[in-house]
Amino acid sequence: MLFPTGAFALFFAVVFGIHWLLVRRAPALVRPFLLLASLAFYAFWSLAFCAALLLVGLFAWAIGRRAGRSQGRGWLWLGVGGILGWLLYFKYTGFLLREATPLAVALGLPPLPAPEILLPVGISFYCFQAICYLVDVQRGDAEAERSPLNVLVYLTFFPHLAAGPIVRAAHFLPQVAAPPDRWRVPLAMAGLLILGGLFKKMVLANELATGIVDPVFRDPAAHGPADILLAAYGYTIQIWCDFSGYSDMAIGLAALLGFHFPKNFDQPFRALSLAEFWRRWHISLSGWLRDYLYKPLGGSHGGAARTAANLMLTMLLGGLWHGAAWTFIGWGLLHGAALVAERALGLRARPAGLAGRLVRWAVTFHLVVAGFVLFRARDLETVGAMAAGLLGAAMPEPAWTPRLLAFCMLGLALHFLPAELRQRGERLLAPLHPALLGLVFGLLLLAVLLAAPDGVAPFIYFQF
Amino acid sequence: MRQPWLQDPATPPPRGTPDDFSPRSATSTAAGAALALAVALLLLAAGRAAEILDAAYGLPLLPGTETLIAAAEAWDAAMESLGVNGLVAAVRGLLSAGRG
Repeated sequence: MLFPTGAFALFFAVVFGIHWLLVRRAPALVRPFLLLASLAFYAFWSLAFCAALLLVGLFAWAIGRRAGRSQGRGWLWLGVGGILGWLLYFKYTGFLLREATPLAVALGLPPLPAPEILLPVGISFYCFQAICYLVDVQRGDAEAERSPLNVLVYLTFFPHLAAGPIVRAAHFLPQVAAPPDRWRVPLAMAGLLILGGLFKKMVLANELATGIVDPVFRDPAAHGPADILLAAYGYTIQIWCDFSGYSDMAIGLAALLGFHFPKNFDQPFRALSLAEFWRRWHISLSGWLRDYLYKPLGGSHGGAARTAANLMLTMLLGGLWHGAAWTFIGWGLLHGAALVAERALGLRARPAGLAGRLVRWAVTFHLVVAGFVLFRARDLETVGAMAAGLLGAAMPEPAWTPRLLAFCMLGLALHFLPAELRQRGERLLAPLHPALLGLVFGLLLLAVLLAAPDGVAPFIYFQF
Repeated sequence: MRQPWLQDPATPPPRGTPDDFSPRSATSTAAGAALALAVALLLLAAGRAAEILDAAYGLPLLPGTETLIAAAEAWDAAMESLGVNGLVAAVRGLLSAGRG
């Protein structure tokens, strides 16, 4: 079930009503209800996926109980290994077998089987959260839960189930343990987040995807340099609108139910360095990689060469987390190499002077765009075809339109608006009577839906 | 409790971690939020009467489907007679200007 659909609006209205009724009349039923609602949400994709999700949750809970009581790290390693094994099976078996087939044939063996394994929606997100729970319990940041219910609610909570944000166990479990406060619901900010997220996803991302990005990446050879250039910039804007739009909606929906998720995107394309970009882009994943991978590897405490190796490994695994393909490996390595170069050249500090900042911004932004071309391309041949098309002289019928260019520029311009603009909007709306607030949000939501192209494309990050 | 809006407004927000919410975030009661949600959904239903009718026609034939279709037809007819459908079509045409 996708957020921007009538079915989800109906689902959420029912869940919202029952949830707050239970908070008032039967607080003990709030958590079982949220679990049931989340499983019902997930069951729209597949009942088998639901069973798999529950299995991972129960496994994490059982190992967490043991890890919480044990002084050693054996249970933690077993838990992390089990969850990573689960993730590896679904995401990488096909890729590894495909890539190993030429070697097998060269050795005189028959070609390896290439099974089509259906990837459960949101598997990377809930697996990372399960690992997060185990590590937080081992570190003492979170209590080992006595009942599986809290762990299951944490992993399955529907606003973040399919594509994050990845919420830390230490942050979310205390919220699950106590019923939300029905006298204080952050309505205005939640509404603004949902509205803004819907605008970014339905209007900007969907139109850029259907208008220029998908056709060009499908067949770069059929397009001229202007189309290819706009598709590269367009995808960069599209993926931000798509993913940050989803995150904003998830954060807003959770807030309407009384739960807090941290911010996941903070105007990433205004970054002046790759290091700053990663503090602003997919904050919940970059924070996870920093705290649960980069720092345990030694972080920046082992000399320049060790730091560089840790950075490269972290970004490579970050790339692989997105999927099993050489394009994701290339994307991770590009970011890793750029981060290492920034560190070596001392480019992490904010440059003085407008010209210096402009140059630094342009270099950072274009590195990010180049990375996203790798990220979006079906394979490395597509990247090559796009690079060749950029330099080519062919001038087929252009696909770009002034509207698409304007949407692309609008997506970029949104990064340079004052960071606290949403808070200002909240202050403006807060004094309104809830009915009037509903009227304003209803009209604006309707306008967003009317401005969007027909249909609802799935969110990009659902495939991860 | 980790929800910033439940903390005292004088609580300083954590440094270095950007957030959409703060201890100063405006709040409403759950009943107020339910009212706002109901009004917003009613408006959406009014503006999407044709899509609701299409969705109803696509429902599998189960007990109650006929009633749902009849309700969707009545809702769409009501919106048509109020001029909502015409207004929505005009706004949609305006907002899609320039689409290739």
